[in-house]
Amino acid sequence: MTPGDGEPGPGPAAEGPTLRPAAASRPRLLDREAPLGYILVLPAILYLGIFIAYPFGMSIWMSFTDAQAGNPKWTFVGASNYSKIESYEIHANDFVLATLPDADAARRFIAKKAEGKVTTAPAAGGLFRATLSVDGKTIPLVAMPKETDASYLGSTIASDLDWKQEAGKERAGPVRVIAHAGDSPVTFGPFPDRAALDRGRNQSILVPARLDVRTNGKGVMQDPTFLLALKNTFQYTFGTEIIKLLLGVPCAMLLNRKFRGRRLLRGLIVIPWVIPIALSAQGWLWILDSSYSVINWFLVHSGVLSPANIINFRGDKNWAMLSVITVNVWRGFPFTTIMILAGLTTIPDEILERARLDGANAMQRFVHIISPMVRPILLVSLLFSIIFSFTDFNTIWIITKGGPYDQTQVLSTYAYQLGVNGGFLGRGAAVSLFMFPIMAVMVFFMLQFLRREA
Amino acid sequence: MADVVLEKVEKRFGDVRAVAGIDLTVRDQEFLILVGPSGCGKTTTLRMIAGLEEVSGGDIRIGGRSVTHLPPRDRDIAMVFQSYALYPHMNVARNMSFSLRLRGMPKAEIETRVREVAAILGLGEHLDRKPRQLSGGQRQRVAVGAALCRRAGVLLFDEPLSNLDAKLRIHMRTELKRLHQSVRSTMVYVTHDQVEAMTMGDRIVIMNHGEICQVGTPLEVYDHPASLFVAGFIGSPPMNFFEGEIAPPDGSGEALSLKLTGGVVLPLPRPELAGASGRRVMFGIRPEHISVASAGKALSDVLWAAIGTPAKVPATIDVVEPLGHRVVVTARSSAGTFQMETEIHAGVRPQDTVDLWFDMSRAYLFDRETEKVL
Repeated sequence: MTPGDGEPGPGPAAEGPTLRPAAASRPRLLDREAPLGYILVLPAILYLGIFIAYPFGMSIWMSFTDAQAGNPKWTFVGASNYSKIESYEIHANDFVLATLPDADAARRFIAKKAEGKVTTAPAAGGLFRATLSVDGKTIPLVAMPKETDASYLGSTIASDLDWKQEAGKERAGPVRVIAHAGDSPVTFGPFPDRAALDRGRNQSILVPARLDVRTNGKGVMQDPTFLLALKNTFQYTFGTEIIKLLLGVPCAMLLNRKFRGRRLLRGLIVIPWVIPIALSAQGWLWILDSSYSVINWFLVHSGVLSPANIINFRGDKNWAMLSVITVNVWRGFPFTTIMILAGLTTIPDEILERARLDGANAMQRFVHIISPMVRPILLVSLLFSIIFSFTDFNTIWIITKGGPYDQTQVLSTYAYQLGVNGGFLGRGAAVSLFMFPIMAVMVFFMLQFLRREA
Repeated sequence: MADVVLEKVEKRFGDVRAVAGIDLTVRDQEFLILVGPSGCGKTTTLRMIAGLEEVSGGDIRIGGRSVTHLPPRDRDIAMVFQSYALYPHMNVARNMSFSLRLRGMPKAEIETRVREVAAILGLGEHLDRKPRQLSGGQRQRVAVGAALCRRAGVLLFDEPLSNLDAKLRIHMRTELKRLHQSVRSTMVYVTHDQVEAMTMGDRIVIMNHGEICQVGTPLEVYDHPASLFVAGFIGSPPMNFFEGEIAPPDGSGEALSLKLTGGVVLPLPRPELAGASGRRVMFGIRPEHISVASAGKALSDVLWAAIGTPAKVPATIDVVEPLGHRVVVTARSSAGTFQMETEIHAGVRPQDTVDLWFDMSRAYLFDRETEKVL
C-alpha cells in the first residue's frame, strides 16, 4: 500500500506509526481522487454549459418572444410563434351540381354548360342567393350578405370551373356532375372565429361540395411553407434512410466476404463520409449542373435523352428532392455500411456453420440468423443516421438552398431562412425547436425497441 | 446403420497438407475420439466429415452412401461446436428446434421432441431462456440438445468441453458418455486433451502432422503405443525418454542390457532383440513404473518389485508435487531428468539421494530413426 491509495484504512501493523504518522487524519487534497475528478471534468461541463445548454435555453426563450434582427427589445408573446390563428377560410372544391341517372345524361347536361344562367335574388336572413338554371334544373349555389359577392361566386362556379362527371362513376347507375376547381379552390371568408366559420359554412354554401378549412395567422403552424418544410423533412429523412439501408446491407455483406483488396475497398468506401461536405458538394454541384451535368451528357450521348429535354436536377421541382436525397445517400451510406459490417463481423463463423448444418440455405441464414443478430447495431446506426438526416442543413443549403419554390425546403434550412435571412428570430427559433419533440419521440421509440430486443 | 468410412481423405490448404490421405472407419454406434496436438488435422478431418470443409481428395461415406460432395444438411449428421454456436436471439426451445422448423416438421411433433430431449439433458425448466441467461454448462447442454433433436445418425463434437471449467468438464465427460449409452448414435469427438480421450472413447485415433499414428481402444494405445509420439502423447504425467543403446548382457541374468548416457546400464528382458545389439534406441518408461527404494517403501512398490524386473538407478530428488493420494516426483540421474509417480506416503523429500527402481518388464524401446516401437 502506498500513501496515495485513496482512503486510508487501519494500516498493517508492520508499517506502524513511523511510516504513516497521519494515517488517521484526512489525506492531503491532491491525494484524494474526488477533487481531481471534478477538476478533470470541469472543461467538459463548461463546454456543455456554454455551447449547448445556453444556446438551447436561449432559443427556447427566443421562440416565445417577438425577437427580430435589429430590434434589441424582445417582448414575450406566448406560443404565438408556434401557432396563432387570426382567421379561418373555407376552401371549397368539387361542387356537386346534379345527380343524373346515367353517363349519357351527364354528358348531355355538361354540354348545356354554356346555356346556364346565374340569377341573384334576396333570400331569408338578409342574404342574397345565387341560383343556376340550366337544362331545366334550378340549382341553388351560394348565399352571401352582399349581392355582388353572391353573383360573382355563383358565376365562378357556373362558368369558370370545369364541369365533369365524377371520376370513377363511368359505369351504370346514377352519375354526379361536379364543378371542379383544381389547384385554386373557391374561397369563402375570412371568418374571425370558429362560430363565424360555422355560420358561414351553414349559410353560404348551398350546393354540396368538398370543403377544406384553412387557418391564417403568424404562427408557423399557419405557415404553408413550414408545413411543406415539415413534409419535406420527413421525405428527405426517410427517403435517405431507406435507400441507405438498401445500399448498405448488400455492400456490407460484400465487404464481409474474403477477397483480394478487401481492406483497400473497406478504406475507400468511407471516403464520401470523411470528405467535408463543403468540398464534396462542389463536385455534386457540377454533376447536377443545369447545363453541364455529366449525367445529362451521358444520357444524351447514349441516346436516351435528346439535348432539348435534359434534366434540370436542381431546378426542376420533380427532381430537386431526388437530387438532394442522392447526395445525402452518397454521403451517408458508408456509415451505414461500416456499422452493418461491424454487426456482421460480430457473428461468429461457428454460428453460420451451425446454421448450414441445421439445413439453412443462404436466404434462410440471412433471414433467421444474420438479420436478427445484426438488428441491434443496425438500429443504433439508423438512430444516428436519422438524427443526422433530420437535422441536415449543409447538403441542402449547398445543393438547392431549399429551392425551387421551397420544394426541398426542410426545417433546418427554413429556420435559417426565416430567422437569419428574414430576421424573424422568434419564428426561426420556433421552427428549429419543432424538430426537438419530433426527434425525442422517434428516439424514444427506437430506444424502447432496442431495449426490448436486448 | 450410420458408420463413417474415410478413404484416402486428404485436405490441402495451398501448399500445406492438413490431412494427408487418411483411412479410417468409424463403426456404427461407436464413440470414436480424434486426439492430437493442435494443427494435427483432427478438426479438419471432423469438418470434412461435416461437410464444412471441401475434400481435396478421397471419399467419405456415411451409412454406405458417399457424401463427399453433398452439402452438410444432406449428410445425416449433427455437430456440437467448441463455442456451442447457440443462436443468441432464440430461446432454448427455438435453438434446439431450428433445424426441425427449417425442415417443416409439424409444430406438435417438434414440441414433443424438444421436450423429450430437454428431459434427457435436464433443460426442461430453461426452455424459455435466452442463451445468455444460462451458465456455461447449460449452454453446453443446449448445444448437445440441438444436435440430438435432429436424430442424426452421426453426432460430431468439436472440442465441446474445452470452454468449461475443470470441475464441470469432468462432470460433462460422464454426462456425454452416459448420453452415448442411451442414444446409441455414432459419435466422433475431437479433443486435444488426452485424458478426455482416454476416459470417453470406445476407440481413440491419435493424429499428428495430418496423419493417423495409431487407432485403438484406450488401453491398447496406452499399453502398446505404436510410436514414440503416441507414447509421449498418451499418459499424464508423460512417459520418460532416455537415449540409449542395446548392449550385450551385463551379467544380471537378462538376455540383453541397455546402456544409457552417463554410464547407467539397465538389464533388458527382451530376448527377441538379441540380434540388435549395438542398435541406438529411445528408451521409454512411464512414471508409474518407477518406484522408490528408500526407507519408507510403499506396499505397491514392494508388490511390483516382486513381479517386475526392477533395475536400480541412483538419483537425486529435485521437485515433489503432491496430487493428494499420489505424488509426482522429478528426479535427476546421470542419464537425465525424469518423473515418477508414487504414493504420497513414499516419504521422498527434495535433495534426497535415493535409489529408484525402473521396472524393466514395462520398458518401451523405440527406433531412433523411424520412431516406431521395437
